Amino acid sequence: MEYDADVIVVGSGALGANAAHQLAKAGKSVIILEAGVRIPRWKIVENFRNSPAQRNFNAPYPSEPWAPTTYNPDYIENTGSFAFLPGMLKIVGGTTWHWAAACWRYIPNDMKLKSIYGVGRDWPISYDDLEPWYGRAEEALGVVGSDEEDQSGQGGAAFPHRSKPYPLPPEAKTYIFQRLQARLAPLGYNFIHEPHGRVSRPYDGRPACCGNNNCMPVCPIGAMYSGDMHVAHAEKAGAQLRTDATAYKLEKGEGGKIAAVHYRTSKGQDVRLTARYFVVAAHGLETPKLLLMSEVANSSDQVGRNLMDHSGMGLQFLADEPVWPGRGAVQQGGIFNWRDGAFRARHSAVKHAITNIMPNVDVTTRLLNAHVLGSELNRRIRDEASRWVDISTVFEMLPHPENRVEPNPSRKDALGIPMLRVHYDVDDYVKAARPVAVNDFRNFVSGMGGQVIVDDTDWQNRDHIMGTVLMGANPADSVVDGDCRTHDHKNLFLATTGVIPASGVINPTLTGVALAIRLADTIAREV
Amino acid sequence: MSSSRIVLALAVGVAAFVCATGAARAQAPDPALVERGEYLAKAGDCAGCHTAPGAGSSAFAGGYAIPSPMGGIIASNITPSKTHGIGGYSLKDFTRAVRDGVLPDGTHLYPAMPYTAYAGVTDQDIAALYAFFMLKVAPVDSSPPKTELPFPFNVRASMIGWNLLYAGRGTAPDPGGSPQTQRGRYLVETLGHCGTCHTPRNALMGEKTSRFLGGGEVGGWHARNITPDPVAGIGAWTEDEIVAYQKHGFVPGKSVAAGPMAEAVEHSLRYLTDDDLRAIAAYLKTVPAVSEPGAARPAYAWKEARPAAVTSFETGSQRADLANAATLDGAILYNGACASCHGVDGAGTSDRFFPSLTSSTTVGSADPSNLVMTITEGVDRRGFSGHAFMQGFGRELTNAQIASVATYVAKRFGNPDVSIGEAKVAELRAGGPTPMIVKAGPAMAVAIALLVLVAVVIVVRLVRRMTMRKLPHA
Repeated sequence: MEYDADVIVVGSGALGANAAHQLAKAGKSVIILEAGVRIPRWKIVENFRNSPAQRNFNAPYPSEPWAPTTYNPDYIENTGSFAFLPGMLKIVGGTTWHWAAACWRYIPNDMKLKSIYGVGRDWPISYDDLEPWYGRAEEALGVVGSDEEDQSGQGGAAFPHRSKPYPLPPEAKTYIFQRLQARLAPLGYNFIHEPHGRVSRPYDGRPACCGNNNCMPVCPIGAMYSGDMHVAHAEKAGAQLRTDATAYKLEKGEGGKIAAVHYRTSKGQDVRLTARYFVVAAHGLETPKLLLMSEVANSSDQVGRNLMDHSGMGLQFLADEPVWPGRGAVQQGGIFNWRDGAFRARHSAVKHAITNIMPNVDVTTRLLNAHVLGSELNRRIRDEASRWVDISTVFEMLPHPENRVEPNPSRKDALGIPMLRVHYDVDDYVKAARPVAVNDFRNFVSGMGGQVIVDDTDWQNRDHIMGTVLMGANPADSVVDGDCRTHDHKNLFLATTGVIPASGVINPTLTGVALAIRLADTIAREV
Repeated sequence: MSSSRIVLALAVGVAAFVCATGAARAQAPDPALVERGEYLAKAGDCAGCHTAPGAGSSAFAGGYAIPSPMGGIIASNITPSKTHGIGGYSLKDFTRAVRDGVLPDGTHLYPAMPYTAYAGVTDQDIAALYAFFMLKVAPVDSSPPKTELPFPFNVRASMIGWNLLYAGRGTAPDPGGSPQTQRGRYLVETLGHCGTCHTPRNALMGEKTSRFLGGGEVGGWHARNITPDPVAGIGAWTEDEIVAYQKHGFVPGKSVAAGPMAEAVEHSLRYLTDDDLRAIAAYLKTVPAVSEPGAARPAYAWKEARPAAVTSFETGSQRADLANAATLDGAILYNGACASCHGVDGAGTSDRFFPSLTSSTTVGSADPSNLVMTITEGVDRRGFSGHAFMQGFGRELTNAQIASVATYVAKRFGNPDVSIGEAKVAELRAGGPTPMIVKAGPAMAVAIALLVLVAVVIVVRLVRRMTMRKLPHA
């Protein structure tokens, strides 16, 4: 039988592109399907500079009626107590165009939450199983990191174990990081450098970061990693990219295999493509939607369920000294005391990240709302923008089947494909950790002689989508196995952070890329 | 007997000794000789062609397609592999390949191998190079693809005729030079083979000796005039600046090396001793100045950025235009693609990590080749003081867009008389203007006529040489 390709990868984000690149490099014929279009970086920069919505990170990117994203007002209908609204892009390269490129590894205990702390779920694979692929993912993304710190946040020796050093050494500490560390570390807070994908020297065709402080919504020079880089690598290795190709159906064939994928173009053409293997890498919300629309991989009834984000809180205050936020990278690390410990049996882990985005927009908006005008406005912008401290806190959600995403039966996009319906409630495990965070906030403010601007936010979106096609050892209660292969279909793999069954408190993209490279290795052996 | 003759006699003696005892030396290498050979291989920039670019390629294993107007000439494996490299070469074989461009089996190399320059490599240096390649380079048992040029250039025997016309006879001693300029001359003309790129070529691709180092074309890039002409050349550069440029690949306010010159810095010049770099600078100051008619000021002497209308920054993109990247407006392209590193005013970064676009030879030149090629291919250069990198925009911008943004950059930061069209960009990206010999190549009749011409010249030169041989010989 003739196939259109050895492997078809649905989605051209960081995960799909890395899987496609590995497979093409291994000599396999690969087709990548992307719902959106391809836009050069300079055009996105131009869009951003001319956008009136400087804090809307989706605004510089197209959200076409035939490839709509979450910021389209109709796209997500929320039925739960929390308005789940993550940023999402449908263009070549995916949502990593506007991340902040945090590239943490999970620590071993994150992956054994149930067996150690009796809550949530265990991963079916261990940290040691994944470790070599973490190294390869770090090489792919050009990760800058410290080989000396205890990333579990306990102030101990270098942890977790690494078989290879980080590809690039850490950059110099930003001034705000230095000042907070100098004044808060004596209170017992463990600061850790954040490993990240903004290269500190030329690397893999990328220039060194020059501190535009513009990681979100777009790195204007391509120093920060984004998925389009591996789309280009995959194409160079022989993969074929098709844009304007929204997959809407996986067709079941004989022997429990997937036979074909169907996609639709903006002109309404329907195309059917066959392949030996399929990788769905279509985002943590869209992947389960495609599986549910296709009625595949769901014998466990867990597809679309167990939706997790790192539901978060924020703190903003003015320090008693200028700390000059906004110089260098938009974030550089934070406080990890509550990353792991016996408390995880009772409440969620907590991470405090120091945000280092130029705050002038936020400072000015607040002052204008308070009717500060004229020379007083100028004076206060200069003063407050220099003393602004912004802490972004995240909590570890547990998987609950009731938190779910599904195709919306009552809303369709311009292609006639269902939009999304989400039900999400922040759980008691997270709520039990709120007092811990609030207590930390109090200490941060007093330690910096600060004046609170905001310290009682509602739960916030953090755009880290997990759990929706979670992995597990038992086919009865999970969607994929430890290799990201669906329990139901031998030739269907999922490359998405949606496979993550225990969320920890770290940004999951690096783990997703490691899993994507790993599943590509598995497929390359079998095709 | 003059001292140079003594040296020569000693050199011949050493060479003969090395030749006779080659096998014995293989067991007992002289570390100093090998080390000297390694340095000379750097000065000769052997790796520039014989090591393929990119991480993971083996040193001296070949594979790099050297751009030529006739097509890519693929550098060979010169590791001491017995089966795929030069492991079976005697010193005599090695000498003949380096100096005459002829392999042991009689095959003629194309002059992409700069044997016309290497003809002057001293016997001592040949021996040291031989020792380095045989004893220190790791053998690699694989061959790069074969060079396949179109007819008539695939007839390698035609090089016999070409060689009679253009092959060098080595660097003749210059009685007027100081030891420093003598050394500089040897490095420039022989080992460094600077003229291979920097001397323009004539219709038959021979170097135009009347415009020695006056500027040549390499795969779309322009190798600058490096004679002491104060406007067209580097006459206004200090010796310190010439040394720094070779070592680091950039001199603020003057120039930045990219393309083939970046390769020369990366593989060769950054490794040379300051004494050698200074000797090169001193010698370059002594070569005949080559001027260019009409050139009024040096390319780097455009120091002021000209203002841009504020409206060029505020384009008011509408949501409907977010995915439309077709603009040909140079200001919009500059602001989106260039300004995040080089600045809206073209000043670069204060630490010079990202260079200024004013006071730049690349931007201010009347010849837009290097500006267009830098935008297209970017910069990737490891110098003595670090790695400079700019991405190329050849994939993200069309030829027409590159022409627009290059014209905008030239008019705002460089020579305002420069205007670049889409066709020029296309020509440069295809390797530059096509020389007459190549245009003629496909036309069979003309090619045959050329071969006949070459044959005639051979006869003439042979007769002349026979006459010459009757004269006393050094």
